[in-house]
Amino acid sequence: MQKQLRKAKVKWISLSIFFLFGLALNAQQTVTGKVSSSPNGLPLPGANILVKGTTQGATTDFDGNYSIEVEDGTAVLVFSYIGFVPQEITVGSQSVINVTLLEDTNQLNEIVVVGYGSVKKSDVTGAVSSVKAKELNAFPLLNAEQALQGRAAGVVVQSNNGGEPGAPINIKIRGNTSINASSNPLIVVDGFVGATMPQPNDIASMEILKDASATAIYGSRGSNGVVLVTTKKGRSGKLTVEVNSNYSTQNTANELDLLNADQFATYQTALNPGYAPGNAETDWQDLLYRGGSVSNHQFSFSGGSENVNFYASTNYFKQEGVVINSEFERISFLGNVDAQVTDKLKLGMNLFANRGSQDGVPTQSTGETANGGGDDVISLMFRFAPDLPIQDENGINTINSVGDNVDNPYAIATESVNQTKRDDYRANLYASYDILEGLNFKTTFGYSTRNETFGLFRPSTLTETAGPIGGSAAIENFKRTSLLSENYLTYNREIGKGNLTLLAGYSYQKTNTQRFAAGAQGFTSDSFSFNNLGGGAVPLLPSSSFVESEIQSQFGRLNFDWDDKYLLTATVRRDGASNFAANEKYAIFPSGAIGWKVSNEDFMQNIEEISNLKFRASYGLTGNQAIGAYESLAQFNNIYAVLNGQTVNAVFPEVAANPNLKWETSYQTNIGLDVGLLNNKVSLSLDYYNIDTRDLIIRETSQPEYFGILPSLKNVGEMNNKGFEINLNTRNISNENFTWTTDLNWSTNKNEFVTLLDGEDIILDASPGYFNIDETHILREGEAVGVFWGYEYQGVYQGGSLPEGTGILPGAEAGDQLFTDLDGDGVISPGDDKKIIGDPNPGWTFGFTNNFTYKNFDLNIFFQGVQGGDIMNLTNVQLFNGDSNATTDVLNSWTPSNTNTDIPRAKLRGKEISSRFVEDGSYIRLKNIAIGYNLPQDVIGKIGLESVRISVSAQNLFTITDYSGLDPEVSYFGTGGQGNSESNTTQGFDFGNYPTVRSFNFGVNLRF
Amino acid sequence: MKTYKILLLLIGVSIMGCSDLEEEPSGLLAPEGFFNSVADIQTAVNGAYGHMTTEDFWGRKMSLPLMLRSDMVSIGDPTTSTRRIEHEEFNVPTDNGMISGYWQRVYQVIAAANQAIAGSALVGAPDEQKNPVVAQAYFVRAFAYFHLVRQFGAIPYLDEPVTDADAAGSISKTSAADVYTNIISDLEFAKTWLPNTQAARSIPAKSAAHSYLALVYLTTGDYQSAYNEAKGVIDNEGTYNLGLEADFQDLFDATTIDGSLEPIFALDFNGFSDGDTGRDYQAALTGLRNDEQYDLGGGWSVAVPSLEVYNTWDGRDYRKAVSLDTTGVFNGVTQPYTVFKESGASGRGVNRPHIAKYTRNTGITATGNGRGSQQNYSMIRYAEVLLIAAEALNEVSPGSTEAEGYLNRVRARARNSNGVTSGLFPADISGLSQSDFRDMVLEERKWELAFEFKRWYDIARRRIGPQVFGASGLEGAKPGFSEDQDYLYPLPADELARNPNLMPNNPGY
Repeated sequence: MQKQLRKAKVKWISLSIFFLFGLALNAQQTVTGKVSSSPNGLPLPGANILVKGTTQGATTDFDGNYSIEVEDGTAVLVFSYIGFVPQEITVGSQSVINVTLLEDTNQLNEIVVVGYGSVKKSDVTGAVSSVKAKELNAFPLLNAEQALQGRAAGVVVQSNNGGEPGAPINIKIRGNTSINASSNPLIVVDGFVGATMPQPNDIASMEILKDASATAIYGSRGSNGVVLVTTKKGRSGKLTVEVNSNYSTQNTANELDLLNADQFATYQTALNPGYAPGNAETDWQDLLYRGGSVSNHQFSFSGGSENVNFYASTNYFKQEGVVINSEFERISFLGNVDAQVTDKLKLGMNLFANRGSQDGVPTQSTGETANGGGDDVISLMFRFAPDLPIQDENGINTINSVGDNVDNPYAIATESVNQTKRDDYRANLYASYDILEGLNFKTTFGYSTRNETFGLFRPSTLTETAGPIGGSAAIENFKRTSLLSENYLTYNREIGKGNLTLLAGYSYQKTNTQRFAAGAQGFTSDSFSFNNLGGGAVPLLPSSSFVESEIQSQFGRLNFDWDDKYLLTATVRRDGASNFAANEKYAIFPSGAIGWKVSNEDFMQNIEEISNLKFRASYGLTGNQAIGAYESLAQFNNIYAVLNGQTVNAVFPEVAANPNLKWETSYQTNIGLDVGLLNNKVSLSLDYYNIDTRDLIIRETSQPEYFGILPSLKNVGEMNNKGFEINLNTRNISNENFTWTTDLNWSTNKNEFVTLLDGEDIILDASPGYFNIDETHILREGEAVGVFWGYEYQGVYQGGSLPEGTGILPGAEAGDQLFTDLDGDGVISPGDDKKIIGDPNPGWTFGFTNNFTYKNFDLNIFFQGVQGGDIMNLTNVQLFNGDSNATTDVLNSWTPSNTNTDIPRAKLRGKEISSRFVEDGSYIRLKNIAIGYNLPQDVIGKIGLESVRISVSAQNLFTITDYSGLDPEVSYFGTGGQGNSESNTTQGFDFGNYPTVRSFNFGVNLRF
Repeated sequence: MKTYKILLLLIGVSIMGCSDLEEEPSGLLAPEGFFNSVADIQTAVNGAYGHMTTEDFWGRKMSLPLMLRSDMVSIGDPTTSTRRIEHEEFNVPTDNGMISGYWQRVYQVIAAANQAIAGSALVGAPDEQKNPVVAQAYFVRAFAYFHLVRQFGAIPYLDEPVTDADAAGSISKTSAADVYTNIISDLEFAKTWLPNTQAARSIPAKSAAHSYLALVYLTTGDYQSAYNEAKGVIDNEGTYNLGLEADFQDLFDATTIDGSLEPIFALDFNGFSDGDTGRDYQAALTGLRNDEQYDLGGGWSVAVPSLEVYNTWDGRDYRKAVSLDTTGVFNGVTQPYTVFKESGASGRGVNRPHIAKYTRNTGITATGNGRGSQQNYSMIRYAEVLLIAAEALNEVSPGSTEAEGYLNRVRARARNSNGVTSGLFPADISGLSQSDFRDMVLEERKWELAFEFKRWYDIARRRIGPQVFGASGLEGAKPGFSEDQDYLYPLPADELARNPNLMPNNPGY
């Protein structure tokens, strides 16, 4: 920035001199005019006008007007502005030349932010994707993470819970790299490591660092990739005030086709002749779904004087979910100030505040038997008997008449309280000082805090879950603070044809996490919610914890380019972390990369068609802090124990120490090729990567259980991800009135466990607890993470002798399920007859965007899709089980007279996991279609506005998929909840997800 | 100059973070430095009690198979999980989920006891002060291994915390005989050092060690020693503050059992829990599905006696009425057991009388279906000691009136219904042959200790499987039962894989 300002100053001085000369010599032809930008027609202040072949030039003023002297009519004027395609115009006889510059969609000249610095896009040697503000604003976003979905190859973005208002978003870059640790990337906002994402409208750009050469500078936190977010800054000059308003209506894209009351009664009577049908007719889906809405309003103002720039914004967001009683509300503030204090010193500050308030309904329940598997309104509205009313004749909320006793979903959704309030504050101060020519010192000091309170209340009117215990309430508070200080020197020098940049720095970060929880039962009144735990007769066990972790690091980077042809990048970071075990406190992560701009070689100069050709290659090590605080230490833990009717202090040895526990290390190779054709009308990037993650941390299952103590964590596994990414951008048509651009990204990733502990399988369970099954998926050497594990379904057993190679469960009869009999003993048993029955990892994913502009109109069409990737439909496991309502598919159940069917006879049966419930999860989705219109300048000029933009759009308008469930973007984590290990290894399970929504949006953007 | 001041200030602030990166957890306990006082030893022993009152142990995984493998309780709800049905039908695979869930937990009980014993060496107090507490750990260890040896026979045996993982990870099984020797030695230590009485029956006193010695000897068939130990308890009835509860029903009343003299060692639940720790589950497992009579939201009808239990149990026996519920309440209407299934909307009920011992007076239940009650579970109670004495004495000197006296004392209490002696059933017995007396004691144990998790062990130690699981048995013929295999459980297959030196598995598996 410093350098740019200085350059600008030099330019001004030289321009002034030229002007003086020009005036002194001879007043020739004068050309005046206005430079504006396409497509919105806004004036461009500060655009350059140069007489071609001379050094004579001019700059536009605040309103885009210019004036320049030329020799004669043969002179050619070159109009240019950063980010726009330059235009050349021969003067001829014109004295007024108005020019509209087209935005430059060739991004080679863009500045790309990298860790602790920035480089020109054309100088990037690693794998870095950028998402700019323009793409962020293509359609209304619920959050910034969502903007990355389908936008960058190799980046998979998914809501943790469908369309739930306020649901957290998971981002995965280039696959899973861990079992136990998080696979989410590191988020860095304006240099603050581990920050919360700001609002999408406040973001100037997001960079996704994907390979080791880009991420190794973040050392032990770089393995999952890094998302660098830069927020908007003010610009010197006129004050800009901007108002953005969006309103969306939402509805569920889909409903399940369930039995109605009559069909249900018939079905249940077949199962249980004594079934007494209820006399109501209730469509629980109708009762619980509603039309949702989102309103999002943003107000910002920015500007600056010569020395001080500022940007300030506030945002109000409110979403009413498509399930009754689910809401999310958010208020956030952002402020950026930058001050050039002296020629050499620059100070700045970045402030962020956010309050998120989520009023939810329980969904995606862990289905713990302790909750009767019955507090998840989504799965309950499918399960619940349609012949029951909400309340019986005595005004008591009904409980299910079949299967486990569970409360009806309407009562749960309307009467229980499930509230999360989350406050985030962050302040980051920096000082940047030019010590010598080319040598800069920057120091930042920041603090962030998150305060989260979670309250849960179930009134005694919930007949099953809370009635017998007189209501229950719990409140939990979680507070995390993080202190960060970073200090680094940057040195830049030209050496002959070469350009050298050196970086060296030191960083320290300390994070504290404090948690406490309390609860009570047996309330005198249902009016307390969770705000009067003392009003409960029965207190529940309180708990609290405190965790502190520190990380201190040294880092450095060397960038060298020779003659704008050969590029070299080398980085290293040394991380010391308190979480690391006693004998392994420090880790070093080096990386190196080379780039060759072939197109800049002399022999390429004659090949007109190829405007850009660059090879990139990188190799390096990055880490994953898979070790939680204190996890390498031996631990005693508390346990609940009762003596003489009283709860007493009790401890037991829980886990052994491992002083040699290390971080997980990814050895990453990336080879890339960038091609620009036809003056960069077509630009293509190809990347191949191979990520070998070693020292995977696994709890050693090979330790006998008779030790009576949990085995310590060990570094024993190895996992490999390799993949291929394509990014293709084309400028199909580009003229003054009409532009059409296309972005396509496509990626494929292959994941494989190379080694697991002693080659042993690790069998995992993602089913709801009340299913009472232990196995749904498996980690196995040579296989991808989380492949499904169960019986292979062979259709319906027709009775008589078993078909070759098949078997039935003990006690099964004609009409029951037939499975592959792996051990050939004719009986299906859990130990011998299970196999891998599906793979949730997608084959490839893609995003496909077309942007059109015509005069003041613009159109964005964005498709996104996944090919391959199986889904385990646990919803159907429940719905075909006989102890709940069912989809109308059961009307085609096997009977002695209806034998040609795939659906077994109606029967109460165990919830066996089999390939019967594995489905293909491929889909193509019209993620967005948006039309925008910028009001013409002459109209809005009259009402004193700078620009007015109106847009209408629709999201998730249609989805093409064979998946029979509600939506192929599934994310159920089962009894493990949403912990890291579960979300890494548990993929592709569908049960009780909040539905994905379809929305229609109207937006207005005003700029003053 | 001003610039430099600002800069220096910032650098000063920045550099402040320099750390040695040592972890100093607060709120977590490290083993080092934990054991300082006798109270710390007690806290460590309490850890073992805590493990015993988890779902993995007493709640379901350990207790439910004991019920289902007996001839008195079978599966009610047919849709219950396979891993339970496998025990009921003696079709237990080596990866049975009940066993693998329980296996780790029982060894956590043992590891907690071993840790308490090892930790006590670090406490400076004299033996007279610390051994009465350490003795609880010895008792707990014996108690846990006694379950294991009866279920699995030869097992991996550890009596100290693991310090050398390689050595401990390659041990062979210890023979059942050696395990019994160790159990007896632990119980002897406990008997020596435990005080005569404790504040509650959930804390083992000398009486607990003494009584368990009797039960261990009875199990190994050392009837002389069994008699000696049982006699020792009976002789110390006053010293140990023991007695029979006047009204049999009161033994199963969670609100009054704390004051009873009859339990000798009990697992204590207080209606609260931390997740599955502290939950007994028995009211839910044995309770009648959709039943409204106890305000529990109904049970799950999982463990339900076979109909023959009801039919063969003499209706004049007061204990039958205490032990079984023959009616349930559905939609406010009392219904007989013959229509339980039809009356409950779920269709998963079963038309048999249900166990009432754990549902009728649960005290506080913090969770639905009675998953967590306030019940205390007697691991051994005084009536059983009397029955052990009777059984053992009959083996070593048949025909004694002393043995008859012990048996008749238990029968006399059974006649005492609602605190009033009414009726003459079961009448005192006398003059039986040794064989008839033996049968009579076993029969008495069946009804007196019905559904108290004792019956399977009786079947196994007396080797009466072929008889009770034959066609004339209470549950009808159980073809899955094999005498050569099913008196023992299989060791978990994955454990054998982790330490192949534990192979082979038990015969038949």
